[in-house]
Amino acid sequence: MFLTIDTNDARSIYQQVADGIKGLIARGELKEGTALPPVRQLANDLGVNLNTIAIAYRELQKEGLLAVKHGSGAVVASLTSTERSQDELLRPLRTALTELVLAGLKPGKIIEIVVQELRTVTKGSK
Amino acid sequence: MSQDQILITLFLLNAGARIRGCFRRWQQPVLRGPEWFFNVPVQSDFYNGEGRRILQHYRMRMFAPIAIEALLTAAIFISGHLIYLYWLVMAAAIAVHVNHLFSVDLAERQARKFAVPEAEQPVSAVMLSLTPRRLRDYSNRNVERFIIFATVAATAWLVRYYLRSPAPHDIRTVFGVPALLIYYQLGFLLVKYGIVTRRTPIPRDQAEEHLQTREEARKLHLKSLDWLRVFSTVTLMFYPFILSAPQEKRSFFVSILWITTLAVSVVQAVWQEVRRRAVLKTSLRARPMRMPDFLHTENSSRLVCYQPGTPMLLIRGARGYSLNLANKLAQIGAAYVAGLIALLVLLQMGH
Repeated sequence: MFLTIDTNDARSIYQQVADGIKGLIARGELKEGTALPPVRQLANDLGVNLNTIAIAYRELQKEGLLAVKHGSGAVVASLTSTERSQDELLRPLRTALTELVLAGLKPGKIIEIVVQELRTVTKGSK
Repeated sequence: MSQDQILITLFLLNAGARIRGCFRRWQQPVLRGPEWFFNVPVQSDFYNGEGRRILQHYRMRMFAPIAIEALLTAAIFISGHLIYLYWLVMAAAIAVHVNHLFSVDLAERQARKFAVPEAEQPVSAVMLSLTPRRLRDYSNRNVERFIIFATVAATAWLVRYYLRSPAPHDIRTVFGVPALLIYYQLGFLLVKYGIVTRRTPIPRDQAEEHLQTREEARKLHLKSLDWLRVFSTVTLMFYPFILSAPQEKRSFFVSILWITTLAVSVVQAVWQEVRRRAVLKTSLRARPMRMPDFLHTENSSRLVCYQPGTPMLLIRGARGYSLNLANKLAQIGAAYVAGLIALLVLLQMGH
């Protein structure tokens, strides 16, 4: 169960932390109710500023993936508890698909890529 | 055996055990071969030029605490207050490690000017394990049971002895040494907790090797601490026997404690050396890599700082490292040291 931070990645560190945790939840490595390290501890471990982790956790909380309780830290929320609409959820997929079409990929190839990526993302989840 | 004889033997035993550490630190810069200086990949002619000077200065700095210790030892022997040897041994153990930490950092920073340019780039991708590590995963149940049982039994015996003995006893005579030993025990536990919970990112390349090296080093340090904890408990167990024994039999119990100390120290030193070699073998398989600095903050030039926004225990500073008092472990450590000083003052009052 690893978080990866890449300095060559165009995303900011907080975004990489948030995406990394999302990936772990999607793969089932972080299950519902699992406690995440406190903000202070994760910032200490990664060697980053406190705000970087606080922003990442806040984003995950806003998306309904984390439940932050005062005193007991952050825990992985129920995946069904997300309050975002389907349209909101599909928006990044549409953007990514548009990019792939504009890159000249055929629909069959795009479906193949999507299926492969889906396998990678959900690897380990039941 | 008189108290002075015990102190001198303890001092000599400690000095003997530290010889191997001196050799190890002497060899450490060149352990990976002539292409390396500690964890810095250096140019081929490094040791023919400036590298030789950097290496010599590092080795001289290594002996600085020993030179100071030698002067203090002479002063203690001249003064005749041999009890200070005990504190000198403790202070020297801390000073040697702190001095080593700063000396290695300084030497590495000096050597980086002569590093192979392309190999000196920090790695771009790092990984951090989120798998929780608990104290109980690194604890032997039997050892823990023994420590708890022996501590409770010894304390109960001392309480009974203090309350029921016909002759009045000074509370500090009965409980002073055990209180100190139990406080040490707490300190060892604190260090153990710090080691178990401490996490640092590893480079994505060779992640497996780096993980294995850290895990083996962690286990070695934790087991060494367990040795100290058991040893401290054994001393605590002997204390009621020594205290309650008739005057003529006390030296017998002290001798038994002393022989046990000697035997345990020898076995522990041998075990530690064997394990250390195994860890070294593993660590040589993991290529050292420079980690990226995510903070990009101005380095503190002070040895101690307070930066709540960056909660690390040690922050890279202009002089190597700066101890961050905003870190929880640093605060607990400071409270522990303050408590130790208060306990010692309390034990000394009235004597």
